[in-house]
Amino acid sequence: MNAPFFKFGLFGDNVSLVVAFLIGIGFGFFLERAGFGSAKKLTAQFYFTDLSVFKVMFSAIVTAMVGIFYLSWMGIVDLSLVYLTPTFLVPQVVGGMILGVGFVVGGYCPGTSCVGLATGRSDAGVYLIGIVAGIIVFGEVYPLVKDFYLSTPMGQVTLPALLNIPYGVIMFLVVLMAIGGFAGATWVEKRMAARKGA
Amino acid sequence: MHRSSGWLTTNRTLGLLLGLLGFVALFLGTPYKGTTATLDATELARIVEREVDHVAPETLADWIIQGKADFRLIDLRSETEYTGYHIPGAENVTLTALADHGLQRNEKIILYSEGGIHSAQAWFLLKAREYNGVYMLRGGLEEWKEKVLFPMLPAEPTPAQRVEFAKMKEVSAFFGGTPQTGTPAERPAVVTALPKLDMPAPASGAAPKKKKKEGC
Repeated sequence: MNAPFFKFGLFGDNVSLVVAFLIGIGFGFFLERAGFGSAKKLTAQFYFTDLSVFKVMFSAIVTAMVGIFYLSWMGIVDLSLVYLTPTFLVPQVVGGMILGVGFVVGGYCPGTSCVGLATGRSDAGVYLIGIVAGIIVFGEVYPLVKDFYLSTPMGQVTLPALLNIPYGVIMFLVVLMAIGGFAGATWVEKRMAARKGA
Repeated sequence: MHRSSGWLTTNRTLGLLLGLLGFVALFLGTPYKGTTATLDATELARIVEREVDHVAPETLADWIIQGKADFRLIDLRSETEYTGYHIPGAENVTLTALADHGLQRNEKIILYSEGGIHSAQAWFLLKAREYNGVYMLRGGLEEWKEKVLFPMLPAEPTPAQRVEFAKMKEVSAFFGGTPQTGTPAERPAVVTALPKLDMPAPASGAAPKKKKKEGC
């Protein structure tokens, strides 16, 4: 059983920081290669002219899903040991919407703003200042929103467990969603390009 | 992207591969089956030998002070002993109740008992059930008292020991303990009274406080 490495003490705090650094660099590199250092590219998503964000993120999700499923099935990764962020349904939906508004208005999401700043974009720097300010504000008002923040707790849940549907079926459905999504996104992009041209 | 030969572009090849893998998954059953692996006695013995299954009392004290919430602390003693004193944040679970306590296999579990024997036994019980993140508090509650609650300055301390003691004094104060100074003769023969339970502020509740940034 190889995973997870950090939580069960295969390496300590210091090594975990190095690992996190390396993963972060890799993540940033591929975001940049996908063109996500530019707010123009990112906001094009919301005008349906360039759905790269959707495609890249969904690719990452299905790649991870397929990889983890097969590695666990082969007994290389122990799926039951993988930490799942606990679900707090309502606060997380609200939080997602706040993030979405920030994404539309600011033109970045947290990860891509770091990428943008690393490639010398000053708007990304302004966005990052906003993030830090938001963190401070949240920290200060935390006592007021704590009850809401911790409401509707569902613990560590997975779709197969929640819906009581076999793992493989969920996986197949998500794969269908992904393939349909990719095809649909490409179709939308073509239509928007045609409309622009017309 | 460059080697697109007719209809079968790179994107379509990858899409087909994805579809195939997703389709095959329908028939593979649960991915958790890889986890019902065997109990590897040699591996267990190696873990015991390397002592990586221990958490030192000083380390645990440090975690509690920092408010870390990524572990569950299990007190294996009886309920009376638990109500008398327990390490802040600990849950009381007896050996027999351990199996039904709802411990998750992806949690980090730290066990302690009075000495080390019960926790070692519970450690094997959980390990046999494929709980990987199980640890024992080294030396149990006895060592916790000795190292954290009532740390002692050796009779002829070296400078390093003095520094260490100064640090442990603060840790001890956090947990409501009483550091022991002076020569052994001056110390009370009986162990100093255990701190009141409401003394330290335990890492609050089960909800993990860490904020992780995920996604894009």
